[in-house]
Amino acid sequence: MPTKKLPERSEITVIGGGIVGVTIAHELAKRGEEVTVIEKRFIGSGSTFRCGTGIRQQFNDEANVQTMKRSVELWKRYSEEYDFPFEQTGYLFLLYDDDEVKAFKRNIAIQNRFGIPTRLITPEEAKEIVPLLDISEVVAASWNPTDGKASPFHSTAKFALHAEEFGAKLVEYTEVKDFIVENGEIKGLKTSRGTIKTGIVINATNAWTKLINAMAGIRTKIPIEPYKHQAVITQPIKQGSVKPMVISFRYGHAYLTQTAHGGIIGGVGYEEGPTYDLTPTYEFMREVSYYFTRIIPALRELLILRTWAGYYAKTPDSNPVIGKIEELSDYYIAAGFSGHGFMMALAVAEMVADLVTKGRTDLPAWWYDPYRFERGELRGRALQMG
Amino acid sequence: MRPLDLTEKNPSKKVTIYFDGKPYEAYEGEKFPVAMLANGLYWLTTSTEGRRRGAFTFGPVPVKVNGVKNINGRKLVVKDSMRVERQRYDEFQEQIEIDEGKPILRYVVDVAVIGAGPAGLGAVEEIGGKLTVALIEERSWLGGDMWLKGVEQEGFGNPREAIEKLTNFPKNVRVFLKTTTLGVFDKGEYFLVPAVRNDQLIEFMAKRVVLATGAVDSIMLFENNDWPGVFRRSDALEVINVWNVAPGKRVAVTGAFPEEITPELDRWGIEYVVVPNPRRVEGEDRIERLIDENGNVYEVDAVIMADGRIPDINPITQAGGKVYFKRGYYRPVLDANHRIRDGIFVAGSAVSIKPHYANYLEGKLVGAYILREFGLEAEPCIYEEKLRDYEPVARPISKLPLDGFSSEDVQICGCGVTLKKVDDVVKSGITDLQIIKRLTHLAMGFCQGRFCLFNGALLVSQRSGTPMDRLDIPVARPPIKNVKMKVVAGRD
Ligand SMILES: Cc1cc2nc3c(=O)[nH]c(=O)nc-3n(C[C@H](O)[C@H](O)[C@H](O)COP(=O)(O)OP(=O)(O)OC[C@H]3O[C@@H](n4cnc5c(N)ncnc54)[C@H](O)[C@@H]3O)c2cc1C
Repeated sequence: MPTKKLPERSEITVIGGGIVGVTIAHELAKRGEEVTVIEKRFIGSGSTFRCGTGIRQQFNDEANVQTMKRSVELWKRYSEEYDFPFEQTGYLFLLYDDDEVKAFKRNIAIQNRFGIPTRLITPEEAKEIVPLLDISEVVAASWNPTDGKASPFHSTAKFALHAEEFGAKLVEYTEVKDFIVENGEIKGLKTSRGTIKTGIVINATNAWTKLINAMAGIRTKIPIEPYKHQAVITQPIKQGSVKPMVISFRYGHAYLTQTAHGGIIGGVGYEEGPTYDLTPTYEFMREVSYYFTRIIPALRELLILRTWAGYYAKTPDSNPVIGKIEELSDYYIAAGFSGHGFMMALAVAEMVADLVTKGRTDLPAWWYDPYRFERGELRGRALQMG
Repeated sequence: MRPLDLTEKNPSKKVTIYFDGKPYEAYEGEKFPVAMLANGLYWLTTSTEGRRRGAFTFGPVPVKVNGVKNINGRKLVVKDSMRVERQRYDEFQEQIEIDEGKPILRYVVDVAVIGAGPAGLGAVEEIGGKLTVALIEERSWLGGDMWLKGVEQEGFGNPREAIEKLTNFPKNVRVFLKTTTLGVFDKGEYFLVPAVRNDQLIEFMAKRVVLATGAVDSIMLFENNDWPGVFRRSDALEVINVWNVAPGKRVAVTGAFPEEITPELDRWGIEYVVVPNPRRVEGEDRIERLIDENGNVYEVDAVIMADGRIPDINPITQAGGKVYFKRGYYRPVLDANHRIRDGIFVAGSAVSIKPHYANYLEGKLVGAYILREFGLEAEPCIYEEKLRDYEPVARPISKLPLDGFSSEDVQICGCGVTLKKVDDVVKSGITDLQIIKRLTHLAMGFCQGRFCLFNGALLVSQRSGTPMDRLDIPVARPPIKNVKMKVVAGRD
């Protein structure tokens, strides 16, 4: 496991080298800041490389719709500029009864207000988009062709590469063990490979956030807990077989799509935790197969290549925590992304870089206010997949 | 006789099968690739990248059978009038028949022994009669790799006779052939070992598990090493000794351990030439020639890779075991009782590469440890003592053909990953095997790295200078062997 030397000092240090930490470092370095990422294993090894690849703007509140609209713009731009797979193949929510249709009509209205072209379509139209679907029980579908998917591997690796080109340092296989604090000011971090002097720390460890907060001695209530979620991938099949992300709340809160490599990837709402255990389970393999084959019967004859587990780092309202913690100078958190941290990362990076460099942002960071739990001002639950 | 038959087959079993419309002679009970081989046909399927593939090196063998696509040709057993057609890897059956599925079978046993080679059989011999045992074997025969041999084996003598003696099981041993284990799952009170036989799910609940899951042949890297007609040593042995069909009329044996196959070729009078340093094979839909690194050209129709074996670490890492690097391969970290963790024992060539008899002794040893854990009398020290006579094989670390080969023609993995693809990523400065795996899809396909991860590790090690024992080796995830979604989709 080759790794670069830990620098002696860095103006800004990001803890955690997932998509969020890497894109924050990329954005800050691009703006000319001196930034180092410290990752305890390898880039993406946390939840990022374990995610379901989905990127959607179909949320159920204004703030998340706005954030995701910006994120998709950035996904589009950077995938072209840096050449990694991002495809706007849409998200297709299959709806099975009037209650579901009613709820989605409300969501569509919000999305349309921000220029997201989501619309309600018929089951037959849904089948035109994914001919393999079983639509016998479907009454309608919510369809946004501008949602999409990206390769977590290629995107994260490319952002890491370009972050380094802008001067950021990425240090892998190095674990942050403690904070060095004097009079409420961060002076440095102790790691498994020595000490780094630093003044600004960004906690981008997602599932491990509470452990880092504890090291920093933060007392503010920031409830982010790790839950085990699993995913599956099948043998690769002909490209274009399942273009969009297909969602069915009726069938196990399932989501599934085809990766750029051809396999069918996805998961169901099978959650365990809070836990740091990541052992894939036999029960998941059975659950996901039961539901997937009901949504797309042809999957019955496909081989399962692999299942795996990752974390949904969850807050009580399924919205992330993004912002500055005033107890300590200077300490920021960007974590608690539930099942949507991969898709949001690019907008989050911009938001955090704005906050660090300018102290304010035009993106709706207020919605993700770290103090909302203390104040008892929980947001409406963000629409979560899986 | 068919062109490559070594023996006359039973005429009463003779059937006709059709491959891409043409009739061929086959015999009931024969595997499809063997029947085609006997007729001199090697090319059975085509990779997504358009490469022609046979059934005896790596990669899956999906074929269309009686109009249904994506059937595993490697395990397909012929039936009269069966119509088989070639397809591409990514073709699948869009219109399917939905059947009821089969009910789940469940067995509660003291010990699940996975793998019925000499190690598994040794373990069963030790504990059988005293504990209830499920012996689970993926292949259709008992005796594992030893069953494939015709020549005398040290300690055992005639391999088949020895196996027949070992497989006289007492009543409380249940044998499950053609049963593929999906993994080992810790349920606290017991281990759950789900397995599949003929599309039926079987759940074994066992207090102890023995992983006697064996080794895999090393895949050699040379140009067109996936060509139809390239054989893994074990597949060559199987066609010769189980099916009595020759791999070819004139065979080249390559790799560091030619003696692992040449006595068997001698026994049957199959003509062969030993070529230690192959560079390229060429041909149309089969091998026509092999060219070595010195430019010598050998007119052969089959190539057998005999480059030694390495423990299959996938069942071990899936079950929670750690591995370390010694004697040229990755092997499990074991405690003093041969366990990777409480309750899970490992024996045989899953531990280290050694003769069959040593693997058998190791099976006995593990059996003795298990008896002790159940409070029964046993003397593991006898086997410990005997095992000291066997030093595991050291496998020389081959130098990869990185320069001077045209690496886009070298397949590092059967799923369309060329040596060039991996090497380009390494050369771009990314030297973490974990990242390389994800960027190239090495070790992420059908075999889950069983045949390709080692070479990937070797490449990274040789390009970056990082020793093999310092690489972050990916662990296997369930299912450890591919399973059709419908098999596990049922609910009861
Ligand atoms: C099965 C599954 C499917 C998902 N599907 C989707 C999807 O389709 N779309 C989507 O947007 N999201 C999805 N998600 C969620 C998404 O994976 C996460 O929200 C996202 O990856 C979070 O990125 P991150 O960078 O915040 O966290 P991570 O990728 O987890 O990165 C945090 C990093 O911090 C490191 N770290 C922790 N402690 C320390 C320490 N002390 N010192 C140094 N480093 C440390 C960890 O090693 C880790 O690499 C899915 C998640 C799962 C589990």
